[in-house]
Amino acid sequence: MVSKSGAAALLSRSRDVNAGQPRHVDLWIIVSYVILTLGILIAVFPFVSMITTSFMTLGEATSRTLIPAEIQWQNYSEAWVGGRFSEYFFNSVQITAITLVGQVVFCTLAAYAFASMRFPGKDALFSLLLTTLMLPEAVTWVPNFITVTWLGRIGPFPWVNNWPALTVPFMASAFNIFLLRQFFSQIPEELWDSAQIDGAGHLRYLAQIVLPNSRAALTTVLIFGFVGSWNALAWPMLVTNSDEWRPISAGLQHFLDEAGSYVHLQMAGAVITIAPIVVMYLFAQKQFTEGIATSGLKG
Amino acid sequence: MAQTHSAARSPRFLGGLFSGRRWRRIRESATAYAFVLPAFVIIGTFGLFPLLFSVYVSLHRWRIIPGPYLGLDNYTRALANLAYVMGLWLVALLGYLVGKSLYDTHREAQEHEDRPWGWLLPSLVTAVGVFQFIRFSVLLLPEILAIAEKVKGQARSQELFLGLLREAWQVPAVQSARTVALLILLAGAALAFVFSRYVNPGVRSMGYYTRFIVVFIMVGSGIALGWLTLNEIRTAYAEAAEAEETIAIWPQVLAMSGGILALIVAWLLAKWMKFSGWTLALLILGGAILAGGLKLLADAGQTNALEIALILGGMVCLFFSWRTWHGIRDRQSTVGLVVWVVAAIAMMLAAWLLIAEIPAAIRAGSGDWWDGLLNTVYYALFTVPAELALGLFLAVLLFQKIRAKGFFRLIYFLPYVTNPVAAASVFRVIFSSRVNAPLNSLLSLFGVDRLMWLDEPKGIFEMLLPAADFPAWLSGPSLALIVICLYGIWSFVGYNAVVFLAGLGSIPTPLYEAASIDGAGRWQQFRHVTLPLLSPTTYFLTLVAVIGTFKAFNHLWVLRSGAALGTTDTASIVIFMEFNRNTRYGYASALALVLMGLILVLTFINNRIAEEKVFYG
Repeated sequence: MVSKSGAAALLSRSRDVNAGQPRHVDLWIIVSYVILTLGILIAVFPFVSMITTSFMTLGEATSRTLIPAEIQWQNYSEAWVGGRFSEYFFNSVQITAITLVGQVVFCTLAAYAFASMRFPGKDALFSLLLTTLMLPEAVTWVPNFITVTWLGRIGPFPWVNNWPALTVPFMASAFNIFLLRQFFSQIPEELWDSAQIDGAGHLRYLAQIVLPNSRAALTTVLIFGFVGSWNALAWPMLVTNSDEWRPISAGLQHFLDEAGSYVHLQMAGAVITIAPIVVMYLFAQKQFTEGIATSGLKG
Repeated sequence: MAQTHSAARSPRFLGGLFSGRRWRRIRESATAYAFVLPAFVIIGTFGLFPLLFSVYVSLHRWRIIPGPYLGLDNYTRALANLAYVMGLWLVALLGYLVGKSLYDTHREAQEHEDRPWGWLLPSLVTAVGVFQFIRFSVLLLPEILAIAEKVKGQARSQELFLGLLREAWQVPAVQSARTVALLILLAGAALAFVFSRYVNPGVRSMGYYTRFIVVFIMVGSGIALGWLTLNEIRTAYAEAAEAEETIAIWPQVLAMSGGILALIVAWLLAKWMKFSGWTLALLILGGAILAGGLKLLADAGQTNALEIALILGGMVCLFFSWRTWHGIRDRQSTVGLVVWVVAAIAMMLAAWLLIAEIPAAIRAGSGDWWDGLLNTVYYALFTVPAELALGLFLAVLLFQKIRAKGFFRLIYFLPYVTNPVAAASVFRVIFSSRVNAPLNSLLSLFGVDRLMWLDEPKGIFEMLLPAADFPAWLSGPSLALIVICLYGIWSFVGYNAVVFLAGLGSIPTPLYEAASIDGAGRWQQFRHVTLPLLSPTTYFLTLVAVIGTFKAFNHLWVLRSGAALGTTDTASIVIFMEFNRNTRYGYASALALVLMGLILVLTFINNRIAEEKVFYG
């Protein structure tokens, strides 16, 4: 991230250089503030519009009203119950939870093995896993859909329209393994040596030493997992055709198609969909920006 | 391998097998495999296997249930004769990679005074084993898939499934393929073992072994693909002869290949003579425009303003390309001039051949697919530069003595992290075609007629200049697609700004100091210090943005409106529709693979440009 001291040093220096013409600098700074504020307005306007519309009556939402005359709280209860957003919401909560547990367990184990264990074929296996990063999602739609249908038809429980199809394919990702491996390999080897002397095996060392020291990396994995799972649209649309397991993004899209003209309810649904992410972002802002900015994940 | 080798020489070899250290190592390996296994099973099933499986599906007619083998039909349906060109050039690429790999091996062996060529034998055997294994998998796969049909209507039980699995396993063809594959693989491994121990021991020997396996696999795939493509062309000719039609696959394929070849020649010459970026860009532009004009002239038979303008424009570009090339050289050199002329001619030849053939191939291919690609290109062109420029601009503004910097960053990043379906749904409301919709209301304040926004299939150039009679391919992206581009820009500017901000922070401040002592103003500092030192960040963001536009799906799907008549459907949307709505699994797989190839090519080109242009300080 930006080193604040570096920026400050640069600024103080540039002020020294421009000491002869302080007014010019002030003007430029003012212009900067104006442009930046304009940027804020543009960035925020859709959210504001979403929230205000979600409190309007249908008549207000489809006319030129900016602010609702009276706040219509019942839009939310209508979307929550009538629009079935309660179901979508809890489906997504369950799907996200299952996926995250799987991701943390499987990716941690694999990343640990790649970071600090020796076994034949390690590099080949790792680069094989990394090739999956180059695959666009579109390539996996058809084959994975066939696989998932097949698994559901031969196995004891259905996969399509059920949680397995929505969670199992995402329980491990090469990206997370890569991220965690980078982090794990920075942990000094002496720790492992001393843990071994104390009689700890790999699992105990992983659980008691490595994981507590890798909170930042784990947080990134959790955030990516959460955002990815909450925002997924294409795959959930392919493998759900009823409300029973439809997650929230696909649910909102379904609602947009079904309730085409009920703009106010749609916006209430959108607020419900967006709320958990925004709340989480506001609380864990630093992890979000640093994790995403440094790793270059594009949703 | 080196370790086992030294163990073999030691007198306590048998004892060493069960000695503490060795046992610990085996146990550690076993633990490691156990750790990796679950992740590998999941990624293998849903990340690696799909690649091979979609190749398999794409070669079949497959509508919900698997159908007959089709060869390249799914590809030719989308790309027409371009599919053959791509097949043959893929073979050429594989050939190039094989040659390069062998040459590198030769160099490395010389450097270390190794004799690696003996390893060709065990590698060949192993590679043949790998191909036999693939053959076995291809035979087994339909049997396994058929199990799902067989259990239909029966009580699902583990015994039933295992029984059917055993049945599939024991189909005679599968069984013999399995035996052959296993035997050859074992023979390869045994040969490798013997070689590593007695014939050609050395630290790098296993490296040679695996490298040669890859080489032979590439050779085998190249032969298979070449055979498949040639066979397809022959069949197409045979079918045409039967139907008493005349088709011209070979002339088209050869013309396009010639064009590509000329392009490569021009590129190699430019690299050899170290043309500057401007020289090359102007050469490409000038050659293409000039050839286009000449081609139009030749086709029409009479001169029009358009053709003359194109020819003149091309000549001007070529002239400036020559000027920039000339300006950089200190001395006059005849060789350089000749090379420049040859490169220019190659470029014009390439443009001539490609302009002549590619539109015909596009017309013969699938309209939906080419429209999808065109929309993807529009989407990339109208978002990526804007998104990068705005992001950089905001980052530079933020990188000053600004109060509440953290607040600005917090808000700018918000559009990037939110749920795209929800955010796009607001855009659907704001850019709704209703008269009372927010943006139309705003327009009416200025007395502008309402616009259809997301429901508008008309191209924007056509809308801006209604008087001019545009041909369809010149009318530009539809207004609906432009709205989607606005969404793209809105959601990614903040991300770019944050990453640029990080990049700005890593530029050493003494450089600015030195620049301002030299009298560089704000703009000059930006142009000559910030931009060059920021180039790794810019390169990274460009790559991410371009690939992102080719993969984009979510907001495109939400903002898609039937009234826009498919003018907003990019490549991934077309694939999704073919798969989900038209249930053409094979065709959708073929399209997805073509898209993946395109993304790989873009990444490759981006990397090559970055190698030359990015300044890593």
